[in-house]
Amino acid sequence: MNNRNKKNKTLTIAYLFPTALILLVFIIAPIIYTFYLSFFNWNLIAPTKDFVGLENYFSIFTDPVNRKILLNTVFYILLLLFLNFLVPYFISIIVKFFISKMQTAYKIIFFIPSLFSLVVGAMLFSWIMNPVSGPVAFFMRGLGLTLPNWTNSGAMAVVVICLITNWKVFGYNFVLLLTGLGSVPQNIIDATKMDSIPKWRMIWDIVLPLNKSIAFYVLILTIVQGLQYVFTPISVITQGGPYYGSSNALYHTYLNAFVLYKTGNASALAIVTFVIFLVLLYLEIKFVEGRTNRYE
Amino acid sequence: MKFLTLFKRTVGIIVLMMVAVLFAGCSSGKAASKKVVHISYWHVNAQTQGGASVDALVKKFNKTHKYIKVTAKYNPNMYQGLMQNLQSAQASGKVPDVVQVGWAYMNYFADNFKYLTPTDAQSKFDGSKTFISKNFTTRTLSFAKDSKGKLVGLPYSLSTPVLYYNKTMLDKYGIKASSLSTWEGVSAAAKKIKEASGNYGLYIQEPADTWAQQALQLSNGAKVKKNGKAAFASAAGVKAYQFYQDMVIKDKTALHTPWAQGVDDFVNGKVAIAYTTVAQASHIKQSANFDVEAITSPHFKGHKATVPVGGSMLAITAQSTEKQKAAWTFEKYLYKNSSLVTWSKGTGYLPPTQSALSSQTFKNYLSKNPMLKPAASQIKTAVAWTSFAKNGLQAEQTMIDARDKILSGSNVQATLKNAQEKINEQQK
Amino acid sequence: MNKFRESGWHFLLIVICLTLLLPVLFMISNSFKTLQDSYHSMLQLIPTHPTFSNYLTLDKQINLFRIVWNTFFMATIVTLGKIITGLLAAYAFKYFSFKGKKFFYFAFISTIFVPFTVVMIPNFLVISKLNLLNTALGVALPQLCDATGIMLFLKAMDKIPNSLIESVRIDDIPSYKILKDIVVPILRPNIISIGAIFFINSWNEYVWPTLILKDKNSFTLPLALQNYISSEGGTNFPLAMALSTIMIIVPLLIYLIFQRYILNSISSSGLK
Repeated sequence: MNNRNKKNKTLTIAYLFPTALILLVFIIAPIIYTFYLSFFNWNLIAPTKDFVGLENYFSIFTDPVNRKILLNTVFYILLLLFLNFLVPYFISIIVKFFISKMQTAYKIIFFIPSLFSLVVGAMLFSWIMNPVSGPVAFFMRGLGLTLPNWTNSGAMAVVVICLITNWKVFGYNFVLLLTGLGSVPQNIIDATKMDSIPKWRMIWDIVLPLNKSIAFYVLILTIVQGLQYVFTPISVITQGGPYYGSSNALYHTYLNAFVLYKTGNASALAIVTFVIFLVLLYLEIKFVEGRTNRYE
Repeated sequence: MKFLTLFKRTVGIIVLMMVAVLFAGCSSGKAASKKVVHISYWHVNAQTQGGASVDALVKKFNKTHKYIKVTAKYNPNMYQGLMQNLQSAQASGKVPDVVQVGWAYMNYFADNFKYLTPTDAQSKFDGSKTFISKNFTTRTLSFAKDSKGKLVGLPYSLSTPVLYYNKTMLDKYGIKASSLSTWEGVSAAAKKIKEASGNYGLYIQEPADTWAQQALQLSNGAKVKKNGKAAFASAAGVKAYQFYQDMVIKDKTALHTPWAQGVDDFVNGKVAIAYTTVAQASHIKQSANFDVEAITSPHFKGHKATVPVGGSMLAITAQSTEKQKAAWTFEKYLYKNSSLVTWSKGTGYLPPTQSALSSQTFKNYLSKNPMLKPAASQIKTAVAWTSFAKNGLQAEQTMIDARDKILSGSNVQATLKNAQEKINEQQK
Repeated sequence: MNKFRESGWHFLLIVICLTLLLPVLFMISNSFKTLQDSYHSMLQLIPTHPTFSNYLTLDKQINLFRIVWNTFFMATIVTLGKIITGLLAAYAFKYFSFKGKKFFYFAFISTIFVPFTVVMIPNFLVISKLNLLNTALGVALPQLCDATGIMLFLKAMDKIPNSLIESVRIDDIPSYKILKDIVVPILRPNIISIGAIFFINSWNEYVWPTLILKDKNSFTLPLALQNYISSEGGTNFPLAMALSTIMIIVPLLIYLIFQRYILNSISSSGLK
């Protein structure tokens, strides 16, 4: 028995070693280094770094541009939640409970855009949605409407950028949520049918609570992945403009690091973003993982 | 069973790689062959903009030079992208040998990277020491001098902004091209077009720099920089920007949109006049289905048209004497008339040397591509692109921010003044 | 009444299908248009002057075969790496008991939440110090494991009855044998679907490879696309669309072949 324990120990190490090594070298160590850099003013190559203490962190909350960026980030989160979480959730409920045919066909088609690269998506949409001479503008003109010049308005640019990521992840999230709904035991659903409880009631009272953990997983995924996904369309279409109107914390970090070479500011902003993500992680653990409590 | 073998093998490979990570930490550079010197050349030319010409030039060079082998590397995202890559290369200790540096990055480059000036290269490797003075005019050389007056590299690609117009549309509404020589004339034409067709009259390029907007201010007698300090918020500077803002916000005769969309809108016949770089000429010519022509930059009444020059210089970042010599040989090859004309044809830029500009092949090329003519004629009066000595990249960003604010309706005077103070604050 | 309402829903769903697919059709159609037509007959989905010349130009200007191979090679390494490390780690978390398990699990999973901007600069420096710039391995190395994979495999292992594993463990069968003879066969559908997603994501990857791959000979498809989006020289939309169309072929084939696995087991056993 003792022997086996020892063997198990070596095995555990052997099995976890590849993952642990890569995560340590390429994720944990870099985070520490970035954290270290956030206390300095540096341009990435100068031989000396100026120690500035917490100044870079203060500037995140006092500089009007940074404040705008943080506000935009919140706006992005809300919009992503609506477009990439609530809409697919609603549609998956429709497909699961309100239609009786063609479920698989919808599933297959909805998933197709998620096979595309976001660079392609960004190019396609900037062409299709060109407010002056694109096909959508042309079509709307035919109906006597005008497409607003969204490139000039931060809020509208954010909406278009979110729509691009929505095109890509809609199907993926839809499939995740739909499969989650599939795990609601059929006998419960049948029982409510017998009692002639209205469908919406049944969904609200029974299905949604049962599906809570997967829904929460998708919700977190939407925020964390979504904020990174919007990076590509921002860099291809607006570069964060007009006047930082469509920028967010991640793009602004990139701008500071690789365009302006303000490594310190970039690192501080990156760390703040990471902390925000960690809070989300904590929520995830609490709601999703904590439920099963599997690793006590 | 098959899966098992595959699995075993892959586990083996993974383990090997892990070991490699641990032990390959400090592998030394390749041992350079004694005879052939390998150098790398970093450029920004995508396939849509001269990438094929670069490849052809390099191939020819390698054929004719036995002991030097040049590898060309394309850097996406223009000069900004190249500078990012150079930055990373420097941090990792593996720098290229010849690089294209955009004008806006000149001071930043000079302050932060090790390089060999062309003057030093010439005196180190040439017998006659006249290569630079024979090929470049003083004006052209001034583009490549940093804030201390030191020549950082050799001007390689030159561009100037020109005014493209949709001739078919202007003819339809009876507007003469000659009226577009002043900005006032452009504005009047734009108004006419807006009223008659509902289309926009003008688009001025809005990339991640304020090159075209600086031309606008300069052509109203304003200065962007004076005695090393930002000075664009002068009365003349404010007036030029106010004029531009009025066209965008008040009259809605000028379009405010990112660069790619703006050019697309011009090509689609939704904007009558576009003020953008000559490098767009071949793209515009190929894509437009109407008659399109180009003329020199307009000026404000009572002032002379002045444009900042765009494009890049070549700088030598090679570190060893051996490689520096090879790099210098390669540069001199690139400045031959035949190489420069090939380069111009591919990229749409103008050649930097006097003899290439006046060579017969280039003249023939110009007569086939009349849209390049105004750009070539402007080179003689162009000025250096403003580049601030300290925090130059942040200064450029501040000017971009000011432009974006003004075009979304902020008070011109106050915005420019704030931007100017912010830049001057950073110059201390 | 119910029938009527159901067709209303179908109408909505079909509209969604069309909205999602229209950009795809637009892409394919533009790849067969001339540059002029791409601007001036935008609304025609069927090109007025259909041409194959964009594909021929691509073939002339870039080494398509090489680029496709690079993309394929890189995506394969990343996918295999993620699957193998993921299976091993998940197995350890599921069937071994050891000190600090909860901590390790938390640490592993939290790496999902690290924004790429935080690690981009240091990782670049490490890869270039290892002399791995311009290599597929340089792109792949930091991505050889993926906490999402661990999580998904771990949850998929729930469907293996504990008693089954316990019974063979008592017989002192080595754990790698349990892994390959019992766990892997049972998880086959999950491995295929998770692997397919990994592969497609890696195939489309853009930001990180642009930092590592500079040499034309090492370019992957998304990087080659950069060649046709140039701000100064103008974007050649039909060429870019032709390259995008080439780029989608492999992911689409994978999707069509493994569609059933991907759609049914992305989560069915994975995420409850």
